[in-house]
Amino acid sequence: MNQYSRNCLLVLLSVALLLCLSCASPPPAGNVVDDLDRTINIDEIPQRIISLAPSNTEILFALGLGDRVVGVTEYCNFPEAAIAKPKVGGFSTVDIEKVVSLEPDLVLATQIHSKTAIPALEKLGITALALAPGSLDEVMNNITLVGKITGQDKQASQLVNSLGTRIEAIASRTQNLAPDQRPRVLYLTWHDPLITAGTETLVDDIISKAGGQNIAYDISGHKAIALETVIHRDPQLIIASIGMGTGEDLPWQYVKNEPRLKNTEALLNDRVYKIDGDLAHRAGPRIVDALEQMAQFIHPELFEEIN
Amino acid sequence: MALELLRDTAIPKTAAVYPLQWRSRVYAIVGLVSLLGVVIAATLAIGSTHIPLATLGNILLAKLPFIGVESTWASSMETIIFDIRLPRLLLAGLVGASLAVAGATYQGLFRNPLADPYLIGVAQGAALGAVTGFLLPASWQAASIPLLAFAGALLAVAVVYSIARVGKTLPMTTLILAGVALGAFLAAITSYLMIASGDKLHGIISWLLGTFSLTSWWQVTMVIPYISLGIVVIWLHARPLNVMQLDEEQAQQLGINVERVKLILLGAATLITAAAVCFCGIIGFVGIIIPHAVRLIWGPDHRFLLPLSTLAGASFLILADTVARTMLAPTEIPVGVITAFLGAPFFLYLLRQKKRAIF
Repeated sequence: MNQYSRNCLLVLLSVALLLCLSCASPPPAGNVVDDLDRTINIDEIPQRIISLAPSNTEILFALGLGDRVVGVTEYCNFPEAAIAKPKVGGFSTVDIEKVVSLEPDLVLATQIHSKTAIPALEKLGITALALAPGSLDEVMNNITLVGKITGQDKQASQLVNSLGTRIEAIASRTQNLAPDQRPRVLYLTWHDPLITAGTETLVDDIISKAGGQNIAYDISGHKAIALETVIHRDPQLIIASIGMGTGEDLPWQYVKNEPRLKNTEALLNDRVYKIDGDLAHRAGPRIVDALEQMAQFIHPELFEEIN
Repeated sequence: MALELLRDTAIPKTAAVYPLQWRSRVYAIVGLVSLLGVVIAATLAIGSTHIPLATLGNILLAKLPFIGVESTWASSMETIIFDIRLPRLLLAGLVGASLAVAGATYQGLFRNPLADPYLIGVAQGAALGAVTGFLLPASWQAASIPLLAFAGALLAVAVVYSIARVGKTLPMTTLILAGVALGAFLAAITSYLMIASGDKLHGIISWLLGTFSLTSWWQVTMVIPYISLGIVVIWLHARPLNVMQLDEEQAQQLGINVERVKLILLGAATLITAAAVCFCGIIGFVGIIIPHAVRLIWGPDHRFLLPLSTLAGASFLILADTVARTMLAPTEIPVGVITAFLGAPFFLYLLRQKKRAIF
């Protein structure tokens, strides 16, 4: 073999070696910290994943991990492919036996499982990780985290970039609004009693990013708000969520028919809107759809062209 | 064990012979009526929205004929006072009065201090009816929930009654046991329906805990006829109820148609309890603590126990609801949480005092 062909072979070999390296899966994520501040060691890239929340399911499918999802909850109705997956129980009621039988190497839980399903699964040697975002930024961080754990870093950064662009398109126009340019918003998830979304909820973050101000500023979490407080704070628009899964718009109908609300600005100007609860309450990629819809409700003059 | 509890032996055999203490009882009635007036006026002024007393006074004056008061307040203030706070505190008062007087009646009928208005299935029947209402199509719910709760309560007691009846008599022990058993059966169905109810669970739980959150005038006007009729009927039977404290046989010998009185009192107490729970849900402890408190202070004579319990129950529940709507304002908590929070320690106190034979 002459010098030339030997060099050729060497080049070919090194190219082959490089190709080989790049087509092999990336290294596992190692130690990661979840939203309950627990450090979890991911020493292998998970291949069988169970989601314990609709939001987690939507993140997994959006990252192209649908094939690796082996179990979801009864409430996971998006995307369509998720409906056909085996069910491991409701939202707070997890069938641990079913989870174990599906032999997952990763369970994506939420904070409501912190005292129940997570310790139960860990005792059985199953890796469980909780996602509990309280703002749009944290949803984006969660998507990045799931991408990192599952070896889908590239898909995750693409998704976060495109969602970030859409968020920025709205935030850039609303962030400098003066308080008096921010309409007072009442958000309702239920009507008897009136349940609203106060501070430390995703909805609250969406309302403020969409250029409104939440009239439930002194209530934290999802709680009842007094009818007289609503009337006194006089919302300029009311947004009612459509029941999760049922498609029922009871809170919206209530608002439209409640005589005691008819003198609020929202009713006088006929600004009572509906939003799909599946968009507004799920900490997944579609939360940005909710942001865009709310921005149009709150500032129709600024966001006519979206959609 | 259960039977020992049911046959309360602490009742003094002379219970029917009450000394007349007219003066202190007239004071008690006048005092409780004025207390109710003060409570209504004060709680009308309290709420998550601050309304200055002067404004409140002017708004009230403006409603009176022939007094010209210039309107300087936002119309929302008037809505808050007349369409939110007033119907709400009136309904709370009516419900509190009903539960207290029904509790006193049941305790007298069963001669058992542990009896409350929910003893023989009213609560479980109403709960099952209401939860069924929640599961019906959305557009029916506003009407179906109170209607089914009301019907469920009456039906449950009717079933218990027909099971417990032996010939023409109604043994009270059988009645309680039938009530407890049917109640457990209905509660099991309710629990199952709740598990299956999905996202309606929140609404169901706040109904079960009892809340006056969205009370408006139509609910007040709906329950007034039933509640006032039932309460008056009960008041009119105070004397036979006193005599029946001796023992049923002796009461019969004294010329009282015991079975008829039992039927009327059970019917009236059930009717007002069903009317009380159908809009606001199961509010616990009022029916136990108010009659006992009244007995502790003014004695066990039903001619006074019944009206005084009515007045005290109304004031108590209005106050409890005011705490429920203002303690964590602008958010609200179910009033049932407050009554139980106040009621449970009181009940423990009663247990400690048992030697004093308050009943």
